Amino acid sequence: MKRYGAVEAVAGVSLTVEQGEIFALLGPNGAGKTTTLEILEGFRARDAGRVEVLGMDPGERSSGRRLREQIGLVLQDIAVEPYLTVRETLSRSAGYYPAPRDVEQLIELVGLGGKQRQKVKDLSGGQQRRLDLALGMVGNPRLLFLDEPTTGFDPSARRGAWQLVRDLRDSGTTILLTTHYMDEAQTLADRVAVINAGRIVAEGTPESLGGRDTARARIRFTLPEGTSADQLPISARLDSDGAVSVELQEPTEALHRLTGWALQRGLTLPGLVVDRPSLEDVYLQLTGTDSSDSEPAAEGGAPRRGRRRLLSRSGL
Amino acid sequence: MSAAASPATGPPRKRNLTLLVHQVRYEQLSFWRNPQSAFFTFIFPVVVIVIFGAVFNSSKREPFYFGLSGLQYYIPTIAALSVLGACYSQLAIGLAFRRQTGILKRIRATPLPAWAYFAGLMANCVLLSVIEVALIIGIGALYGVPLPSHWAAIILTLVLGAASFCALGVAVASLVRNAEAAPAVVQFILFPLIFLSGTYFPIHSTVLNHIADVFPVRPFNQALLGPFAQHTGFDWNHLGVLLSWGVIGALVAIRRFRWDPRPE
Repeated sequence: MKRYGAVEAVAGVSLTVEQGEIFALLGPNGAGKTTTLEILEGFRARDAGRVEVLGMDPGERSSGRRLREQIGLVLQDIAVEPYLTVRETLSRSAGYYPAPRDVEQLIELVGLGGKQRQKVKDLSGGQQRRLDLALGMVGNPRLLFLDEPTTGFDPSARRGAWQLVRDLRDSGTTILLTTHYMDEAQTLADRVAVINAGRIVAEGTPESLGGRDTARARIRFTLPEGTSADQLPISARLDSDGAVSVELQEPTEALHRLTGWALQRGLTLPGLVVDRPSLEDVYLQLTGTDSSDSEPAAEGGAPRRGRRRLLSRSGL
Repeated sequence: MSAAASPATGPPRKRNLTLLVHQVRYEQLSFWRNPQSAFFTFIFPVVVIVIFGAVFNSSKREPFYFGLSGLQYYIPTIAALSVLGACYSQLAIGLAFRRQTGILKRIRATPLPAWAYFAGLMANCVLLSVIEVALIIGIGALYGVPLPSHWAAIILTLVLGAASFCALGVAVASLVRNAEAAPAVVQFILFPLIFLSGTYFPIHSTVLNHIADVFPVRPFNQALLGPFAQHTGFDWNHLGVLLSWGVIGALVAIRRFRWDPRPE
């Protein structure tokens, strides 16, 4: 196992991203996602702790150029010269890297084929985002940072971008992304971490995060007309609007009894659903009010260095 | 892109030069494609000199112009004005815009060294200044103004002036937070200085000239006026003032320049 990157900031953020995986950082606005990314990218200096990206310290100026030759990034805001064409924008950046991608192929890859000679300012918002993505990839990076990469994409462009990111991973690129979309994390990420108030509160695969895989199943339906809760063959919680819910470790038997009971009486169970907590349920629970009142800055064991406290400020 | 076409490969010295050429090429493209910069920065001084040429179309030497003809006086001052526009105004406004939109941050994330970025910007500004001054001298020649004789002094003054005003432009961009405010700040500083320095009409007040000599614009005008029209060579005193302002600008720029749109 090769460690690819690690952060330990004052708030106790600690994470390791493995080579060749897609790692998603989830968290509410202001939780510290972008700050964490910016420390890794070398934009912000940390106050304490150890950070290693591709074997280098992003806070170290002397190795900065060598590191930047091997990383690519897509920022939240579209930041491209408005008057250059698509091809010029990419060719210019390609010139900064020792082994850049082929610009024409890259244009096709991000779905901007035919737009080579179009000026950036005349592209649609989604096309500009795709150009941004291409700019992140043009240097053929070993590690790619994507800060909310598909915000503003239409559904088909999103699927295209996801496939592109998967293909990159399959060709050996490591990807660290932040996102607000749980479906994005669910379908794309190999592993996810949830960050809240500057601390990692959970880490794992999308399937197992926060104990999802071992969580109790939930049977939900609306009470059929003309029946009452005490007639049901299982004990269940009944809400005032007639919604019934049962939480169980193993729902098979209960479901069988329930449907048998309904069929015997010639009834249906309106809105019948059997599920386990979605990634979004777990995420909301992890980042809910119960965890936001903790004091991350006070818990960090590492001594502070410098004048700024990272990951503990508001508004980030 | 093939490896041979990438400026990031090859032996270091050649690599640096190719990188610089690469930067200037794309700065030029960005400049000429932007109608605002192409018009206000480039066309404006040319239009001014064409109009002045028509208005002051007399080779009569007048005491009001310190014994020169009107156009002999205006060729160097408008040439200086064009350098101010191409270097100071363009850089201050352009960099503030690029920082605010995140373009600078994105460049910072590439392996392009900071020196190469700034050298590219400066080379671009000097190139624009040279083209523009040549145009202005050419238009002057069409109106019958004799060509200057002290080319070495003119070239040194132009390069030093362009470099100093570039440094001042970057300094102002470093101090202005907001890209929308940048054009106003740039003009607010430049406008009074231009008038005080005799760019549009000669100033005969000794007191005003002494005051204006402390700021960078009049020394630049004077250092050009000598070799352009008065057959004097290097104007070391005024060049010294210009250089000092360049150093001040560079120091402020180095200490305060930010790539990131958000304050740390």
